[in-house]
Amino acid sequence: MTMTPLTSDALIADLVGDLEPVRPLRFGAGVAGTLAATGLSAAAVIGLFGLRPDWLAGSVNPMHLVATGLFGGLGLAATVTVIVMSRPQVGSDHSGWRWAAGMAALLPLAGLIVAMGRGREVLAETTVRHGADCFVFGIIASLLTFAVLTAWLRRGAPTSPARAGLVAGVAAGALGAFAFSLHCPDNDIVHLGIWHGASVVALAGLGRLIVPRLIRW
Amino acid sequence: MRADEATLARLMVLSQQGDKQAYAALLESCQRWLRGYYSRRIAPSSLDDLVQETLIALHTKRASWDAERPFLPWLAAIARYRWVDHLRRLYRADERELNEELLGTDDEPAIAARISIDRLLGLLPPAQERAISLVKIEGLSIAEASEMTGQSESLVKVNIHRGLKKLALLIEKE
Repeated sequence: MTMTPLTSDALIADLVGDLEPVRPLRFGAGVAGTLAATGLSAAAVIGLFGLRPDWLAGSVNPMHLVATGLFGGLGLAATVTVIVMSRPQVGSDHSGWRWAAGMAALLPLAGLIVAMGRGREVLAETTVRHGADCFVFGIIASLLTFAVLTAWLRRGAPTSPARAGLVAGVAAGALGAFAFSLHCPDNDIVHLGIWHGASVVALAGLGRLIVPRLIRW
Repeated sequence: MRADEATLARLMVLSQQGDKQAYAALLESCQRWLRGYYSRRIAPSSLDDLVQETLIALHTKRASWDAERPFLPWLAAIARYRWVDHLRRLYRADERELNEELLGTDDEPAIAARISIDRLLGLLPPAQERAISLVKIEGLSIAEASEMTGQSESLVKVNIHRGLKKLALLIEKE
């Protein structure tokens, strides 16, 4: 739409002529859509690779529960922030996800500390290959959620597109790590903290890089 | 006629449902509001462009307003975004041309104060606020701003750059 040569009255007439009904972006719909995408991803993970054996046995490992819960909590907090960011308002607070990120950051931090104590053992080929598999599948399990959040931001009006992209990546990455954790049988803090955590960092970088280019004002 | 928050919100609900008459009334009211909002915060020669850009953004992003939330803080967030974007474009183009009567908010002074551009500028460190106001809003040259503030020319440029970057992050901040 050209704008400069138009008078404001002519522009208003154009915009009125262009008016179509729109469905407002509801907070609940945004969160529900994102969680549905994560649910589908989790179902696909379980359908393709199977549920962790301890879930089937009814005796779940506590480390797995804590790690998966932290990723899920971070994913949910970041998702709420993304939905809030898509609906601009002076006075909105976009900082809530940072607290969840700070708590979830304990996983890679603890993983790094433990890994340093183990020395070269953590670099064994089988360990690295297993870790890389989880990194890649964690990312793949994030993609549907990432697409949903990106589409939501495109419909919305984030006033800080770069930050919105970063948080969308964190949300998708954490929910992807959550989904893939339902399969991954490893309970080791080094594996969970570093390799599963790395997929969250990768998606955050991807979101920061890609999403701002897709947002049109 | 200056519309109040409740009237604007009602017109917006109807507009989202496709009511063209309500939308025309809404855009007219928003246009007047925006002229007041930007007044003395942008070079007069740029005012029409900025108001029109903001009306287009309102049109494009109208789905991002939810009837459960107030209308003016939503419009102000969009207006601030367009204003900061405009200042940044001026910065990139190295232009030096750069008037608050808040809208229909004579009867809503508390809301007006919270969502104003002055409040946004007030969130910057004083040196950055001064540099942006002098060069980007009042249209002084870097040298003139340097002389007026006692900052070196380089520092004025750095303060403009940092201040614009910070403003972009503070758009929705009260």
